[in-house]
Amino acid sequence: MAELARNGTPVQNEKVKEESVSLWKEGWRSFKKNKMALVGTGIVLFFILLAVFAPVIAPYEINDQNLSMRLKAPSSEHVFGTDDFGRDIFSRVIYGARISLWVGFFSVLGSVIVGSLLGIIAGYYGRWIDGMISRIFDIMLAFPSILLAIGIVAVLGPSLKNALIAIAIINIPNFGRLIRSRVLSIKQEEYIMAAKAIGMSDARILFHHILPNSMAPIIVQGTLAIATAIIEAAALGFLGLGAQPPNPEWGKMLADSKDYLTQAPWTMVFPGLAIMLTVLGFNLMGDGLRDALDPRMKN
Amino acid sequence: MRRKSFLTMLVFLFILSTILVGCGKSEKTSGEKTGGKGDTAQDTLVYGRGGDSVSLDPAVVTDGESLKVTKNIFDTLLDYNDGDTSVQPALATKWEVSPDGLTYTFKLRQGVKFHDGTDFNAEAVVFNFERWANGNADTFPYYGSMFGGYKNDESHVIKEVKALDEYTVQFVLKRPQAPFLKNIAMTPFAIASPAAVKKYGDKFGENPVGTGPFVFKEWKRNERIVLEKNENYWLEGYPKLNQLIFVSIPDNSARLNALLKGEIDLMEDLNPSDLNQLEGNKDFRIFKRPSMNVGYVGLTTTRGPLKNKLVRQALNYAVDKKAIIDAFYSGQAEPAKNPMPPSIPGYNDAIEDYPFDLEKAKQLLAEAGYPNGFEMELWAMPVPRPYMPDGQKVAEAIQANFEKIGVKAKIVSYEWATYLDKAAKGEADAFLLGWTGDNGDADNFLYALLDKDSIGSNNYTYYSNDELHKILVEAQTVSDENKRNELYKKAQEIIKEDAPWIPLVHSTPLLAGKANIEGFNPHPTGSDKFTKVEFK
Repeated sequence: MAELARNGTPVQNEKVKEESVSLWKEGWRSFKKNKMALVGTGIVLFFILLAVFAPVIAPYEINDQNLSMRLKAPSSEHVFGTDDFGRDIFSRVIYGARISLWVGFFSVLGSVIVGSLLGIIAGYYGRWIDGMISRIFDIMLAFPSILLAIGIVAVLGPSLKNALIAIAIINIPNFGRLIRSRVLSIKQEEYIMAAKAIGMSDARILFHHILPNSMAPIIVQGTLAIATAIIEAAALGFLGLGAQPPNPEWGKMLADSKDYLTQAPWTMVFPGLAIMLTVLGFNLMGDGLRDALDPRMKN
Repeated sequence: MRRKSFLTMLVFLFILSTILVGCGKSEKTSGEKTGGKGDTAQDTLVYGRGGDSVSLDPAVVTDGESLKVTKNIFDTLLDYNDGDTSVQPALATKWEVSPDGLTYTFKLRQGVKFHDGTDFNAEAVVFNFERWANGNADTFPYYGSMFGGYKNDESHVIKEVKALDEYTVQFVLKRPQAPFLKNIAMTPFAIASPAAVKKYGDKFGENPVGTGPFVFKEWKRNERIVLEKNENYWLEGYPKLNQLIFVSIPDNSARLNALLKGEIDLMEDLNPSDLNQLEGNKDFRIFKRPSMNVGYVGLTTTRGPLKNKLVRQALNYAVDKKAIIDAFYSGQAEPAKNPMPPSIPGYNDAIEDYPFDLEKAKQLLAEAGYPNGFEMELWAMPVPRPYMPDGQKVAEAIQANFEKIGVKAKIVSYEWATYLDKAAKGEADAFLLGWTGDNGDADNFLYALLDKDSIGSNNYTYYSNDELHKILVEAQTVSDENKRNELYKKAQEIIKEDAPWIPLVHSTPLLAGKANIEGFNPHPTGSDKFTKVEFK
């Protein structure tokens, strides 16, 4: 008996695996055909590599000030020039990738976890729980997101970590609503009915059936959200509410350079370009993923 | 069909909006023409500055942003000459000092009226001084640091102020105070309308009524303060301007842009690095304010490791002042080694500054028991100040300096009024601040900023040294100039050794304005009276 059961399970698992693999495989196939999406992925990978190998690539110590070398134009010594403290902008932009990707990834991860949980609960249980959670989402969405983020940082105090938390919080309703609507439609599917009929627990239904079936839109939305999160982090940094000196956060670098716009444009150009490229990369990749994974886009 | 009508509608809307925009514009230009009255000279001056005032009651504040506005709403008994701090008549026309230096008798100007129509007289002067003397360090901070405390304090200098007749006021002192006349001329001790003070109570700071050349009209916080010409000003034919408007534009570059675009006429705290952008431009001119200030890092002597003198000395060794000046003042400043500028009598030039020496700094830290450094906050002011056009940048440079001896400083900033308030309460570890002298006397720097009597008002570091206190109080009473200067020189030695500050710079504040501004001579105190300013 035991043998049989043990033999039975792997077979069953393989079948499920095969099915899901084919779903993702199909997505990958169409993703591969999308040139822009591949470019976007390339850019993202490039910045991830920069972030990971920053200590190896960066030629200078990022916080080493040399006031006699301030605002020097790009040269062979300092490829991107130096900022108003005589620090090497190239090194700082590279380390900045670490900060921006870190904030982008973890803030979105936070909003995905909290948002999905709330969305699932709202969608699956409905009634007053749904009403309450949905109203909270509505209230949060009623604020312009950056304003809400500023408010949250004002309460928590300005720091990179708090900026990350603020960005995570303001993105929760986006994911919450997305999952809620997915759950509402999946809930009506026959296999969920069947699962309920055989007495499967709510938790199992939610986390083994509904959640996995909602993964595709989460991934798409998440990739796009990373792009916005990076911009929001830069905006907070620019306003002095995010990364604190001497952290080489891109938005902060832009803020520092605004006094030298005419004298030393390179102090602004390179961090600006870095923000633009990463955001572009995540957006292209996200668009590609949506085309590949969203069933509605296939028609 | 529907679609078509929708399109027509859109086109119609577009045309309509274009017409409306056109109308709006022409209306505006015609309005400007009537406002400008053809070719008569401009009579409204818009002054751009970095921060807003805290209050417009000069007696309750010590910050320059408040005083530079109240200077134009109020008058003092005496005023300073243009360009220096020697005194000249203002609301008082004549004065006599008794030989023992204890009695001062002032003859007041007759026929002067406050903006609310009430009379200026001896009673009004007595009322104002009584009001301040009955206060405390919270209500009238500057009074206490200039006159040795308040009514019931033993150290209080003024014994009584009495009206001898309607236009004669007599001050009787407990002990001589050498800079007394200079103190009387200070902007904070301006005479306010007693009727208005009683009427508005706590709200007087938002409804100031004085005798000055301009009448307060409107204050939008963090935006603008509008003053209008006082038609009945006692100085015949003045003021020349019809309106004086102070606008707050915190960012130095944005303020310069506003000047270039013509939104403001005069600006202060020009970024030294923007100097070359204006030089050679015929439409604008640069004004240099004579230097009478000091920018410093305060080291609050009651907090953490900073309690230890060796730590404070170590931090003094760790700051590279010259590099900071080269980078952020474009040479428009000199390094400071004393808490007062060299232009002030009593400056001790024999003092040797702490050199920039990281090894020595580390050694002192180790001696103090912090071989691996420590963590603290470093406060940076949110607004440009004349002694520090960009506090945030200076803070970052100092942060990097400290990092090299293992001291990890976290840069913290608050809104300006909060910043001053919290720092005065001793809540900062290390903080950037500075001081522009208000009367050109050493007393106004050393006693006002570092004596134990000034804790709670302008002594933000809570530094207290009894020996220094004795010297500074003695210097107040000595009338012999040489002896006074000797005392102040000694005081500077003590301060250098105790190191409650890292003195950073004495700067030459830069202003820029339209080339046709006449009669504007920036005063070393940082507060300018616009009575004689006009456009050519």
